[in-house]
Amino acid sequence: MASEDTSPSHSHHRDSIKSSVGNTAANRRRQQAISIGKERREALIRAKRLCRDSIFDDDNNEKGLDEGEMVIDEEQSVLNARTAQTVQELKSSLSYQGKDATQKTIEALRALRKLLSKSEVPPIEAAIQGGAVPLLVQCLSFGSADEQLLEAAWCVTNIAAGGPEDTKSLLPALPLLIAHLGEKSSGHVAEQCAWALGNVAGEDMELRSILFAQGALLPLTRLMLSNRESTARTAAWALSNLIKGPDPKAANELIRIEAITDTIVKHLKTADEELVTEVAWVVVYLSALSDKAISILVRSDVVPVLVNWLVGSESLQLLIPVLRSLGNLVAADAYITHSVLIVGNNITDQVLYGLIKCLKSEHRVLKKEALWVLSNIAAGTLEHKTLIFSSEAVPLLIDLLSAAPFEIRKEAAYTLGNICVGPTKGSDNKSDIIVTHLVPLVKGGCLPGFVNLVRSADLESARVGLIFLELVMRGYPNGEGPKLVEREDGIDAMERFQFHENQEMRNMANALVDKYFGADYGV
Amino acid sequence: MDSMDSSVASPDLGLALGFPFWVASRRRFKPDDPFFASGNLERELLAKHVALDLTEDERFQLQRMEIADANLFCPIAGCGARLEYLEEFEDHYNTRHMASCSVCFRVYPTSRLLSIHISEVHDSFFQAKVARGFPMYECLVEGCGAKLKSYKSRQRHLIDKHRFPSNFEFYKKAHPSKHQRQKLQRKAYKGGDAKDQESFMDLDAKKESKQTRPKHYRPQQEVKTGTERESEMEVETKLHHPQTTETKVVTNCEAKNEKAKAETEMEVEERIEDIVSGISKLSTVDASSPSSVSFGHRHSRGFAFVPRSVRNQNQISKREQTRKP
Repeated sequence: MASEDTSPSHSHHRDSIKSSVGNTAANRRRQQAISIGKERREALIRAKRLCRDSIFDDDNNEKGLDEGEMVIDEEQSVLNARTAQTVQELKSSLSYQGKDATQKTIEALRALRKLLSKSEVPPIEAAIQGGAVPLLVQCLSFGSADEQLLEAAWCVTNIAAGGPEDTKSLLPALPLLIAHLGEKSSGHVAEQCAWALGNVAGEDMELRSILFAQGALLPLTRLMLSNRESTARTAAWALSNLIKGPDPKAANELIRIEAITDTIVKHLKTADEELVTEVAWVVVYLSALSDKAISILVRSDVVPVLVNWLVGSESLQLLIPVLRSLGNLVAADAYITHSVLIVGNNITDQVLYGLIKCLKSEHRVLKKEALWVLSNIAAGTLEHKTLIFSSEAVPLLIDLLSAAPFEIRKEAAYTLGNICVGPTKGSDNKSDIIVTHLVPLVKGGCLPGFVNLVRSADLESARVGLIFLELVMRGYPNGEGPKLVEREDGIDAMERFQFHENQEMRNMANALVDKYFGADYGV
Repeated sequence: MDSMDSSVASPDLGLALGFPFWVASRRRFKPDDPFFASGNLERELLAKHVALDLTEDERFQLQRMEIADANLFCPIAGCGARLEYLEEFEDHYNTRHMASCSVCFRVYPTSRLLSIHISEVHDSFFQAKVARGFPMYECLVEGCGAKLKSYKSRQRHLIDKHRFPSNFEFYKKAHPSKHQRQKLQRKAYKGGDAKDQESFMDLDAKKESKQTRPKHYRPQQEVKTGTERESEMEVETKLHHPQTTETKVVTNCEAKNEKAKAETEMEVEERIEDIVSGISKLSTVDASSPSSVSFGHRHSRGFAFVPRSVRNQNQISKREQTRKP
């Protein structure tokens, strides 16, 4: 349970820009995040979203009351007891036959909903154990009052934000939730149901499969067309959870829906960054899982629009899916580098600009994934390599290769190597080495970084480093390669592999040392 | 469209027989690939509006917990030590895998292998027993316990019984050490101008600083003694002829000493030659020297500057001192 730590030193630790005075709820959430126990951590990284506030954004009294009401702060056991009691009240109101039955039900539902949304740690298990799920299913039956549907769906939403067992207990509710997405439903009800389904889909592949089989895809997609931005946003997010795989069937089905690409483009062109973010995630999964989708997307307006965002946005939240969508598309289909990002076209310069912007950013994710995209572009035509080589990316690359965290160094290594190696092969069946790129890069100080990679405990990094050293020793003019490598303690790094457990690495390293630093070296 | 590589995609696995030369190719990742894990985490944190409330430290902690689940072990054969994070590897390696021979400076990843090396290469008693037919060559795999009569048969044992690669050599033909190479380079410089001599000193300085570097766990040695150089060469000649060591074991010892003596003598001669040629290159006429100059301590204060010829002489004698054993 979150402890109340409001010592002054602690609150001064925070930047003054952030939490405003009296924002204890946010403070409490922060506390929750800080004490990162396993359970908490799982809650944080789950692809679920707890619904704490009403989705009504009109001036509903309800919301005002909610805001004023402090977060329910009670001992977990007290909370659980209250929850159990509330569920009992719900049960009795449902069996009540009198004329105020619906009102009673709604009140009970509301009480339960508040417990599940205003508590720091929602008493999800208590609700389930108290028997809430079958009651909620009953509340979701066709013909029920909108408010009842709304409150019930809200309860389900938050129960679905829990762990695997909690979410799986909601299986009976799923068909109803899907049904209430329909166009005849009230807009708010549909949106709340979409939210609930998003949480369910965010659990695992099994549930995604079930939802897909039960036909959730189409109505969610239709909901994404809604004029209400919050609805479109929620539907897009739920959709991204539904298609994220690893089974590609949902993604493949989605791209088959008529006019989906147009819808995506339309939404990507809006100014609503939150909507753009969620739709971009849909593109991420489409481009990661469906070859058919890739083929369509690369020929559509999606690419230029994404590039615009890449260049123009400063929001990390938006840049991640935009960057990754582009990354997926570039990685999967040569069409992009050869037909869209042609060197000389404005869009190509834009992409490079955007990627370099990400390299300069302070965010690890942006740096790493931008490098990945760059490395794939550098695997394109000779013109691409030259374009990157002559840009301001190179000093950044060398710097990142030397000083960044290892996963970033690896990506920088791929990029630099790809710049030095041509798309064509020579008569010896080895890729042509672009000496005019290799020499300046080595002179620019990239060798120490590569030698350092060779020393890494990560097999792939070591491999990349070793293969680049081979390039240098083979391709650097005037046979100076080996000497340069030696100067950076390359021999030492390679000799470590004599006793490496991986046979391929041993063989590779031994072969290099034997070939380039044999008995006659230096004579 | 390229086929989807596994997450261990790398520049071309290609040539099964030879070296996997770099091929510039696109790399693609599945959506649940660990590559995307930190981006996914970021997405969820940002969406929960928690991200802003987390400090860099806390977020780093979260990421660490993600990565820590991935099993990371030391890749040196037989070690298997668990590494909490990658950056830890270098320290671990320097602590555990830098057993170095104080005689020939070879480095081994375990103390056991080091001691095997020392017995087999630097111990004449070992060679004596080998000559008498005792099986002295231990199997390198810990726990096996097998002992073979020759280097070659031990090699065969490793390949047959323990599936070592056929090109594995416990006695790797050493590339000539930096010291050797510098010597050879200096030979080439013989007869060069004064500038080169300055660069000699640079090489010396570099070498010295390298030896005292804490990175390599080596005993502090200012300068290699004559005998040390001797044994270094002994090892090298041995490597060139691994076969011959078996037969010429006993007589080798004497031959070695002779050879070593000869080598040291050669070295001294070489040094003298260097100095002589160096001095001969000095210019006796120095434009910077004042018209009247007096030597001796009494006038030390009065010196405006020291003529180049004198300066160089001092420097050469200094160099000589540092090289003397």
